[in-house]
Amino acid sequence: MTRLRLPPWLVLLLPAIIILAAVVLVPLVLSFYSSFTAYQLTRPETLWKWIGTFNYRKAAGDANFWWAFGRTVLLLTIALNLEMLLGLGLAVMVSKVTTGQRLLRTAMMFPMMFSPVLVGFQFKFIFNDNVGLVNNALQSLGLTDVAIPWLVDGHLALFSIIFAEIWTSTSVFAILILAGLYAIPQDPVEAAKVDGCTPWQSFRFVTLPFLMPFIYIAMAIRSLDVARAYDIVQIMTNGGPARRTELLWTLIGRTAYVDARMGYANAMGYIAILLSIFFTIYFFRKLTAARSELGMGV
Amino acid sequence: MKRLAGVSVAALMLGLSGTAFAEGEFAGVTLEAKLIGGQQYEALYARIPEWEKMTGATVKIISQKNHFELDKEFKSDLAASTTNWCVGSNHSSFASQYPSLYTDLTPLIPADQVAEYVPANIAAATLDGKLVMLPRAQFDVSALYYQKSLYTDPAKAEAFKAKFGYDLAVPETWDQLRDQAEFFASPPNFYGTQYAGKDEAIVGRFYELVVANGGKLFNDDFSPAFNSDAGKQSLQWFVDLYKAGAVPPGTTNYLWDDLGNGFASGTIGLNLDWPGWAGFFNDPAASKVAGNVGVAPAPKGSAGVRTGWSGFHGFSVTENCANKEAAAALVLFLTNEESQILESSAGPLPSRTKVWEHVVDAAKSDPYKTEVLAAFQETGKTAFAVPATPYWIEATNLIYPELQAAILGDKSVDEALQAASDAVDGLMRENGVY
Repeated sequence: MTRLRLPPWLVLLLPAIIILAAVVLVPLVLSFYSSFTAYQLTRPETLWKWIGTFNYRKAAGDANFWWAFGRTVLLLTIALNLEMLLGLGLAVMVSKVTTGQRLLRTAMMFPMMFSPVLVGFQFKFIFNDNVGLVNNALQSLGLTDVAIPWLVDGHLALFSIIFAEIWTSTSVFAILILAGLYAIPQDPVEAAKVDGCTPWQSFRFVTLPFLMPFIYIAMAIRSLDVARAYDIVQIMTNGGPARRTELLWTLIGRTAYVDARMGYANAMGYIAILLSIFFTIYFFRKLTAARSELGMGV
Repeated sequence: MKRLAGVSVAALMLGLSGTAFAEGEFAGVTLEAKLIGGQQYEALYARIPEWEKMTGATVKIISQKNHFELDKEFKSDLAASTTNWCVGSNHSSFASQYPSLYTDLTPLIPADQVAEYVPANIAAATLDGKLVMLPRAQFDVSALYYQKSLYTDPAKAEAFKAKFGYDLAVPETWDQLRDQAEFFASPPNFYGTQYAGKDEAIVGRFYELVVANGGKLFNDDFSPAFNSDAGKQSLQWFVDLYKAGAVPPGTTNYLWDDLGNGFASGTIGLNLDWPGWAGFFNDPAASKVAGNVGVAPAPKGSAGVRTGWSGFHGFSVTENCANKEAAAALVLFLTNEESQILESSAGPLPSRTKVWEHVVDAAKSDPYKTEVLAAFQETGKTAFAVPATPYWIEATNLIYPELQAAILGDKSVDEALQAASDAVDGLMRENGVY
């Protein structure tokens, strides 16, 4: 009787394979399978009730789902661009500071240190129409005599959420771009100066191309973050009122854990993942193009 | 069988005296419990060591959260088949969602013991013929809190009569309340009234108004029945108040805490709210309206019926509990006369007939407490629980965005109710309800 001998490379890789299978592969396969069933959390036996592509067809035909999808793309586009512009400005300004730069860099990271749930509560209070800080300040200053419904009006509610997102995450861009600014070789910048470029020209045509790979990395990270935005929105508006701020993950979260319809929620989740995959591929392509433009290889 | 009989005797003794118990009846038994957490619920749990000492059993509280969090945990437990803990907090609004989680208490609790609870509460705790929980002294129905000073100003009374043609008095109907709320409102500093504007909360309010206006939320087969004249009249009430600026513009985002704090801030005239707020509203340290609070029974709808959406907390025993007899005895202990007197002394309403009498008697020397109890007792007489369908919460998640859409003007009342009705109909059909 011969003992089964696994090749050494497989033995060495086995712990990693087992862990990955347990924490990634099994949940992934199980959730994918359940998206084809009528699985409800409160009725475990429904996990075995195969209903084919019903959940996917239901999601595809549900206007509320596609509105949430579109709203998530809108939020992502606005938040990402504004965060990038503000982060770039912040990083450029901080890089020019000669004394106290370390202190500024640390202070800049403060918003990132707060839990998103707390940020949600904080902005929910700030934007409350009756007792909130913003309305009270505006009314005390005589700028308005009405209670502005920040978290109710369709545009204002989305603005309030974007404001909270930007407040908490602009520093992600600022820190990454600042790292990029430190990494820029000084020769081309000095050469541009000698050639008579204006400060704007040397920023636009020398500094910015060097920064683009850093910007695209920040974009890729944040696009994944925003595409799965849940906590801040859940606390501030819970997707309401009248679905005006409903995003993909508030809808999916409610369907899965409040309505207990895990099969349907998983189907929506798999469609939603396409969004993240699209943005990740898009930004990595941009990153590769920016790197090859700089002669950094691919 | 012998064990069951033993438990019944022990339970009977416990119920009669409140503390007596067969010494060491459950020696060595350990019961795991998942209970609702929060300061107002803790005083009762302090009695658990007393029960442990009497019976020899040990109670291990393995989870303490609010009901919304417990609800998610119970659903996860069902999914993972980890339901061998024994005692769980339950609520009449959630109970119907877990048809397989909890056992029928009827064979475990003597009938004469069950008869000592308020019959309407026991009826609402009985689902598909199964008594799934025993109610604790946390019965909830809403009555009308109001600022008394609004009704003592002769100039206001005169102006009101000139405008509406009838005397200004605490409203007895929801139409009168709408008139008065619009009359008192002076935004952004003062609003006539307010309402919970999202989740199950607004659907509950809508539901009770539909009933008060002579309609039904669901037919007997649980098909939606709210797209009716009574439904339209009810939703129109919410829309009118919002359009008139008689409620805060953010009300569609408000839940119970926002409402309670809003009334206590003195910026709201009339407020339909739960009994748990009575003490807070009249506490000078917490509320600007302390000393100026009146409480009246919930107003009536156009059908002459009072609104009375009610709920209550209770305790249940799981189907997979290894020692259901001990668990049932603990549940009985936590809801017995002594336990309910203890809980209701802090303000919440009891669910045992005798304890109601005790509470009313004890409040005689305090006019405010007496007024509060009279208002809630009157409203409680015609109170009704949520429809007993496992799809209640899911249906509310389909209905409330449509109610909000009508309130905010995104849809007409007719369009909103049609959309909500279609969505609920789809839900019921998909689940094979009919």
